[in-house]
Amino acid sequence: MRIRTLMAGALVGLLATTTACSGSGSGGGDTLKIGFFAPESGFGSADGRSALAGARLAVEQVNADGGIDGKKVELVTYDDASDPKQGAVIATKLVSQDRVAAAVSGSYSPQTLAGATIFQRNRIPLVSAYAVNPGIPETGDFIFQQDFDGEVQGRAGAVQLAEDGVTKPAVIAVDNDFGNALVQGFSDQAEKSGLDVVSVDKNEFGEKDFGTIIRRAVDAGADGIYLVQYVAEGTQFFRALRKSGVDLPVLSTEGIDSAGFLESIGDLADGAKITTNLNRDAEAPATKAFLEDFAEANDFPADMVAASSYDAVKLILDAAESSGTSAGDIHQGLLDTSDHEGATGTLERFTDGRQVIKPVQVLQFQGATLVSIGEITDSSVITP
Amino acid sequence: METTVDGLVIGSLYALVALGPCLVYGLLRVLDIANAASLTLGGYLVLVLAERADSPLLGVLSGLVAGAALGWLVQRFIYLPILDRGPIVTLVTGIGLYIVATELFRLVFGPSQRSAHVELPLPDVDVGGVRLEGIDILVLAVTFGVIGATWYVLTRTRSGVLWQAVAQDRHVAGAVGVNSPRVIAAVFAVGYLLSALAGALLSVKYDAVYPTLGDIPAYKMLAIIILGGLGSPLGTIVAALLIGLVESWVVASFGFALPRDAIAFVALIAMLLIRPQGLIPSRVVKP
Amino acid sequence: MTYAIVVAVTAILMATVVVSLNLTAGYAGQPNLAQSAFFGLGAYFAAVLSVEHGTSFWSVLPVAALVSGLAGAVLGAISLRLREDFFAITTVGLNFVVVALFKSVDFFGGATGIYGLPLPTLGGTSFTNDHFLVLSLVLLGLVVLIAKVVRDSWYGGMLMAIREDELVAASLGAPVALFKASAFALSSLLAGVVGAVYAFFISSITPETFGFNQSVLLLSMLIIGGMGTIRGAIVGAVLLTLIPELFRFAADYRNLVYGVFLVLVLRFQPQGLVGDDSWLARGASRLLGRSGPQSHATKEVAR
Repeated sequence: MRIRTLMAGALVGLLATTTACSGSGSGGGDTLKIGFFAPESGFGSADGRSALAGARLAVEQVNADGGIDGKKVELVTYDDASDPKQGAVIATKLVSQDRVAAAVSGSYSPQTLAGATIFQRNRIPLVSAYAVNPGIPETGDFIFQQDFDGEVQGRAGAVQLAEDGVTKPAVIAVDNDFGNALVQGFSDQAEKSGLDVVSVDKNEFGEKDFGTIIRRAVDAGADGIYLVQYVAEGTQFFRALRKSGVDLPVLSTEGIDSAGFLESIGDLADGAKITTNLNRDAEAPATKAFLEDFAEANDFPADMVAASSYDAVKLILDAAESSGTSAGDIHQGLLDTSDHEGATGTLERFTDGRQVIKPVQVLQFQGATLVSIGEITDSSVITP
Repeated sequence: METTVDGLVIGSLYALVALGPCLVYGLLRVLDIANAASLTLGGYLVLVLAERADSPLLGVLSGLVAGAALGWLVQRFIYLPILDRGPIVTLVTGIGLYIVATELFRLVFGPSQRSAHVELPLPDVDVGGVRLEGIDILVLAVTFGVIGATWYVLTRTRSGVLWQAVAQDRHVAGAVGVNSPRVIAAVFAVGYLLSALAGALLSVKYDAVYPTLGDIPAYKMLAIIILGGLGSPLGTIVAALLIGLVESWVVASFGFALPRDAIAFVALIAMLLIRPQGLIPSRVVKP
Repeated sequence: MTYAIVVAVTAILMATVVVSLNLTAGYAGQPNLAQSAFFGLGAYFAAVLSVEHGTSFWSVLPVAALVSGLAGAVLGAISLRLREDFFAITTVGLNFVVVALFKSVDFFGGATGIYGLPLPTLGGTSFTNDHFLVLSLVLLGLVVLIAKVVRDSWYGGMLMAIREDELVAASLGAPVALFKASAFALSSLLAGVVGAVYAFFISSITPETFGFNQSVLLLSMLIIGGMGTIRGAIVGAVLLTLIPELFRFAADYRNLVYGVFLVLVLRFQPQGLVGDDSWLARGASRLLGRSGPQSHATKEVAR
C-alpha cells in the first residue's frame, strides 16, 4: 500500500512541475504576446520553417519601429510536430499559460481546427495563415482565415485549366483534407467551366511512383492534369512525368509553392502552372518589401507559407495598433480590417464568415523560377 | 508491361531492404525497425556527397561503411543486452532507435528534402518497347547480384552454415564452438549495409532524400518478411517482388483506390489467415 | 491552471487506455500493437454519431464500447491462429487497415476527419475542463478496478498461465480460445470507451490520430512503466505524456529527447521503471523496510 502512495505522490509532484516549469504567464505589462504554432518537426517541417520565418519577420519589423502602443511584441511559438493532437494542447497552453492576446496558426488544417475550438471557447482571436479547410472559420466568431479556402482555389484551378484550352482534365490529389477541399472546389466548378473530368485519383502522403497513374490518366484520354500535392509528392510527379515522355499541361496548387520545392525542383516543372496567393512579380509595394526583407533575413526563398504567416501576424498587429491590445480589442480590430496591404495582396475586409476575398494568382515555372502570368478575379469564383 | 517493370524495380528495392532484417530475424527473432535508419543514412550520404564533393560513388561507399558500422554498434550496445527480454521489448526499442535517427537526420541535414540530380553514366535501354532508365537497370542488377551472393554465402560457405547453425539455436550453436556473437555482429553489419545500399539506390532513383524517408520501408519490410515466412531469405525475396508487382498492378487497374501501404498489410492478413506459416516457410528457422 | 488540467486529463485518459492494454499485452502476454485502432474506433463512432446524428455524449458511450469490443473479439479470434511474431505484425498491419477505413469509408467522414464535437452536458450544464478531469479520474478508477478484479481472479490467473506457456495451460484444461478472445474483447471495449471520451475532450479527430504511431506510443508507455503491472501502466502513460510537455522549451530537440528516453529505459530497465524487479520498485520496497521484492513469488515480468 505504501509503495502506491509513494508513487501517486511522485506523479502528482511531476504534474505540478509541468505547471511550474512552463513558467508563469503574466498578461499585460510591457509586452504584447502573440501566440504562434507551426509544424517545425515531422513531415511538415519544411513548411514550419517558412511559417516561423515569415511570422518572425513581421514581429521584428514592428518591434524595430517601436512596437505597438509602446509595447514590445513577443511571438510565443510552439512546434506542433505535424501532429493533429498537439493543436488543442498548444492552444490551451497559449491561452492559459502564456496568456496571449491573439494567435496565428502557421500550421495545417487538422492542427488549426483542433486549436480553433480552444481559442473560440476562450474568446481569443485566431488567424489561420494558410490552412485551407473551409470549416476553420465556422468554428466561431473569433476565428479568421487569412488565405482563400481550398474550395476557392479549386474553383480557380478549374477556371484556369479551361482558359488554357484543356477540356478533359485528370485529377491527381493527395488524400487528406487539403486535397479533398481543393478537389471539391475543382469538381464543383469543372462543369460550369465546361470541363469533363476523366478521372480523380487520390494518393497517400509519401507516394513515390506516379508513372503508373500518369499512364492511367493518358489512357483515360486526359488532355491536362490538375495536381494537388505537397513538395515531396509533387517532385516525384514531375520526375515521373518527364520520364514518361507524356506532354500534358499541368496545373498545380499552393501545395508546391514552397521553399523546399523551389530549392530542389530544378527545371523539372518547367512550363507547369500553379494557383497560389503570393505573386512574386507584383508591383504592390507591400509584396516587394516583404520579398526583399525576407531574402535579407533568411537563406532560403520566400514562399506562400512564409508570406501568409507574415500577413496573418501583420493583420493582428495592425488590428492591435488601430483598436487596442486586449483580445477583445484585437478581435474588433480584425473585424474592422479595411484595405490591409499584405504580401499576399490587398485585403479589403473580412467577409461575414471571417474569410477573405482575394484574387487567385496564377504563376508559371520558367526554368526554376516562378513567374506571374495572371490572376483570377471573377467574384463568383473567388468569393467563399 | 511498363507497369510490370515498374513493379519489379520497386519490388527489388523492397527485397534489398527486407533481406537484412530477415537474416537478423532468423538469427535472433528480433524484428528490427531501426534497420530503416540505415536506409535513410545511405540516401543522405550519396546525395550530400554528390552535391558537396561531386562524387556519388564516394557517397555510396561511405554509406556502406557507415551502414555496416551502425549495424555493428546497434547490435553490440543496444540489442544484445536486452535479447532475452522478448520480442516486444526489442521491437519497441528498435522503434525508439528509429525515432532518434530520424530526429538526428532532421537536425543535421535540415527538414527539407535534398536532391542532387545525380547523372549516371548509364544509357537508357529499350527492352521490348519498354524504356528502362539507367538507374532501374542498376537497381535490378544490384538486387539480383545481392540475391545471388546471399544464396551462395548461405548455402556454400562456412559463414552461411554458421548462420544456419545459429539460426537454429543460438545457445546450442555457441556450445558446440560456433562463435555466435561474431556471426550476429556480421549479420547485423551486412543487413545494415544492404539497407544503406538500397537507400543509396532509392534516393538516386527518386532524386530525393528527407528525414522520414525510411518510414514506409520500415513498416512495409515487416509485412514482407512475415509474408515471406519469417527468417526465410528466399521467401522474403519472392514476397518483396510480389508486393512490388501487386502494388503496381493495383494502382494501374484501380488507381489509388486502396492506400498503397494498406495493400501490403491487407495481403498479409489475408495470407496469414489462409497460410499461417508464411509464403515459403523457413526450413531452418523453426516457428 | 487550465493547461495543467488539460495535460492531466490527457495523461489520465492515456493511463486508462494503457491499463486496458495491459490486460492483453501484460497479463495474457499477447504482443498487441493495435490498441489505438480500438481507441480510434471508439473515438470515431462517438464523433460520427454526435456530429452527424446529434446523439448525446452519454448515449454514444455504450455504442463505442460495443463496436470496439466486437472488433477486439475478432482480433482475439485471429490471434488464435497465429503465433507470437506473426500476430505482432498482424496487429501492426491492423493500424494501417483501420486508418485506411477511416479515410475511405464515407461513414467515417474521409481524410478530413471530424471536427466540431459539442461539449458533453450533464444536467443542463456544459462540460468544462474540470468536469473532464473528474470524469477521466472516475474512468481510470473504474478501469483499474476491473483490471484488479481480472488480475486477482481465476480468470486472470489462467491468462497469465497462457502467457507463460499456452500448451501447458491448454493441457490443464483451460479453454485458451475463449480466454484470449474475451481478454481482447474486454481490453478493446475499455479502450473504445476512453476513445469516445477523448474525442469529445479534444473536439476534433483525424484518421492519423489513431495510426500506428499512437499504438507504438501506448505500448511504449506500458513497457516503460512496467509490463504486466497496473502501476507500471499508469506511471508509463503519465511519464510519456508529461515528458514532451516538459520539453516544449527545447522545441527542436523535443522528439529526440523522447526517443532517447525510450531507448535508454528499454536498454537499461527493460522490465520498466516501476515494474517488478526494477531499481525503483526494489529501492522503494527496501526503503519501506519490506523484505526483498516479490519478483520471485509472482512472475509479473515482461516476456
